[in-house]
Amino acid sequence: MESELSLLYNYLTVGTLVFGVGMVGFLARRNLIVMFLSAEMMLQGVSIDLVGWSRYHDNWDGQILVLFMIAVAACEAAIALALVLMLYHHAGNLDVAFWQGTREENLPAYVDQEIPEVSQPAPAWPELTPAGIEPAANIEELTHREHV
Amino acid sequence: MSESFLHLLLVLIPALPLAAAVVTAALGPRLLRQQSHVPTVAALVLATIGSAVLLVGVWQQVRESGGGPRETIGWSTTVELWSWAEIGGAYGSPPPSFRDAPAGFDVGIVLRVDPLTAGMLAMVTFVATLIAVYSTGYMHDDPSYWRFFSYISLFAFSMAMLVSVSNFVLLYVFWEAVGACSYLLIGFWYTKREAAAAGKKAFLVNRVGDFGFALAVMLIWTTYGTLNFHDTSQSAGVLGQTMLQEPQRYVAGGVGLAICLLLMLGACGKSAQFPLHVWLPDAMEGPTPVSALIHAATMVTAGVYMVTRCMPLFLVSPAAQTTVAVIGATTALMAGLIAMSQNDLKRVLAYSTISQLGYMFLSLGTGTLLGVVAGMFHLLTHAFFKALLFLGAGSVMHAMGGVIDIERIGGLRRRMPITHGTFLVGCLALAGIAPLSGFWSKDSILGAVHERGHHGDHVAIFWWLYIAAMVTVVLTALYTFRAFFKTFYGPEQIPSAAGSHGHESPRSMSVPLLVLAVCAAGAGAFLVPFSEFIVNTPSLADPRIALDQPAHQMHLNVALTSTACAVGGIVLAGVLYLRSAAALSWIVRRLRGLYVLSRQKFFLDEIYAVLVVWPCLGLATAAYWFDRRIIDGLVQAAVAVPLRVGQLLRGMQTGLVQVYALLMVLGLVAVAGVLLR
Repeated sequence: MESELSLLYNYLTVGTLVFGVGMVGFLARRNLIVMFLSAEMMLQGVSIDLVGWSRYHDNWDGQILVLFMIAVAACEAAIALALVLMLYHHAGNLDVAFWQGTREENLPAYVDQEIPEVSQPAPAWPELTPAGIEPAANIEELTHREHV
Repeated sequence: MSESFLHLLLVLIPALPLAAAVVTAALGPRLLRQQSHVPTVAALVLATIGSAVLLVGVWQQVRESGGGPRETIGWSTTVELWSWAEIGGAYGSPPPSFRDAPAGFDVGIVLRVDPLTAGMLAMVTFVATLIAVYSTGYMHDDPSYWRFFSYISLFAFSMAMLVSVSNFVLLYVFWEAVGACSYLLIGFWYTKREAAAAGKKAFLVNRVGDFGFALAVMLIWTTYGTLNFHDTSQSAGVLGQTMLQEPQRYVAGGVGLAICLLLMLGACGKSAQFPLHVWLPDAMEGPTPVSALIHAATMVTAGVYMVTRCMPLFLVSPAAQTTVAVIGATTALMAGLIAMSQNDLKRVLAYSTISQLGYMFLSLGTGTLLGVVAGMFHLLTHAFFKALLFLGAGSVMHAMGGVIDIERIGGLRRRMPITHGTFLVGCLALAGIAPLSGFWSKDSILGAVHERGHHGDHVAIFWWLYIAAMVTVVLTALYTFRAFFKTFYGPEQIPSAAGSHGHESPRSMSVPLLVLAVCAAGAGAFLVPFSEFIVNTPSLADPRIALDQPAHQMHLNVALTSTACAVGGIVLAGVLYLRSAAALSWIVRRLRGLYVLSRQKFFLDEIYAVLVVWPCLGLATAAYWFDRRIIDGLVQAAVAVPLRVGQLLRGMQTGLVQVYALLMVLGLVAVAGVLLR
């Protein structure tokens, strides 16, 4: 009984440490991917706690729940990374301070340091050799618009 | 003709214009367009034929019943279409004056025909038909052509119903219906500010009169326990045989006087009598055919019709009769004076209409059979010659590109010979020159008033009223021929707005003018038959006035005096406006005060502005301020509380993810702190 309790303490200590590291990382870092990793770490810290308690109570429900959590976290990670990718495509930037659009209208944006401009090189499109005849432009269609 | 055939005609005469109104309104904008006049003209022509047949049928019936024993008073017949309201025991404990009344509120849709109704129907449908034909020319390029004819049909329906219903409630309903049509047609060109304002003014001023009429109707119900004109199986109608044969059942005294005065207030509103006449001159903003039909020939005579119909009620109260006569004479004289100095041809005619309606009321106010018949006959002849004059003015207006200011037009007799000739006939009839119709009717009125100045109550008042009426004869001739000479004689003067239009009007407009001119000239020939016919109306066959009194009478000295006055007026107009401008300006200088009064319409509009419009505006402004500041202020105060609180918390919404996360962590710590305490 004594060893079971000390084992639980160990589980809880590790879980709390992982959760704490994740929380600090989430609050302190500004890179979206790192913040996402930190959030995952907090999730895993809670998972470890669940496993520890599950073992202590000799009840497997907690461990089964953790399996589900891992599955859900994997899905979530897929979606979240896709979102991050989209944001990068959109702005060429992964700094979280870049997206403050949901603030109140009359509040000034919070800037602790200037975000460096990212210069995107102009895309180089492949050039193809023209083939066949260029179609004649339909003037009617170009000048007349049915919908505005 | 059997009575059931007459009933059929009586239903068809209003039903046809109603059908035309509905058809025109439904199909006009898309299907009929420039042919929108077809249903209206067709319906009105049929209704006119029906009215003529009805008139002949009533004539026959009257002649047949005239030979028999006189147990009935007058001749009338009613047809009940359906029952509109039946409220039993509406009057808790009926007063003794109800006698055998059931004390229930029963209103049936009942139409009646008697000589008065038949005559009015014939006049209304006939004039309406001519004016509808005229309108096809006058309105031909108007974008709302269909709307005009729809309204005209609706008006013809309402007016036909007004003169043929047999119940005060329905009379009130159609009294309002013609008022609504008048409002719609005055404001026909509603995008024009003046027209919209004139429509509103007409509507509001009429409300005052209608308020009186409504009170009168209520008072009649509480006094007599029924609102029907005719007898029913349950109750004796207000103007039915039972009451007429026992005239002592009419309630006299204060109640009788109040009923009459309130009815007269209603008549004053609708028939533009002093002091409620102010809407009629402004109503000239409507299209000219409307002015001719509604504001000269038919609707404005509704008051005269109503007072004639209610004559048995007026007979119990000499004071009310004298009031009617005084209002009529005052209006006639005042409107005549105002018409002297107006420069708008249609306004001159409008004031002339008011003046002539004043004559009719003066005549009704005598309370003698002679007077009432004369008033009704003047209504008929006036409808012809005033419609003629208005249509003539419309023809001038059409040719002059909408300009109607008699200072800016002149010498049109060569360019517009038909209009000139027919207008001359109308002017002569209006001035009362023998043998045109106006002479006979106006002379009957003057004769009746003269007679009344010798016999009956308030003799002295009627003597003065006779003099006022005679002065008005001079004024009538003077202002009529002033407008006539200024328009058609003198140096030719055509405003630039006329463009290439300065020619005679199309045939659709000149033919109605010619027909009306013939009527205006010849209607006087029907004085004797009309009088003998109309006295068979139950209301006029009341033994209190009908016994031992002639229905018409010729006063040679009155006729000579009035003709002399009229000719004098015409000659004076000729001298002043064609020959000698110096004499005119001399007179204007000498009568400066009167001229200003006349020119400014006795300042009545200004007086009403101060007494009525400004207090109303002040009240409205105060109410607006109260609503804006106090009511809205309370709401704004209630809104401000959440707004302020929200502003306090708003600073936390920075949009930074990490701030939100930090706040969550702090919240978590706080919760944990509370739980682990």
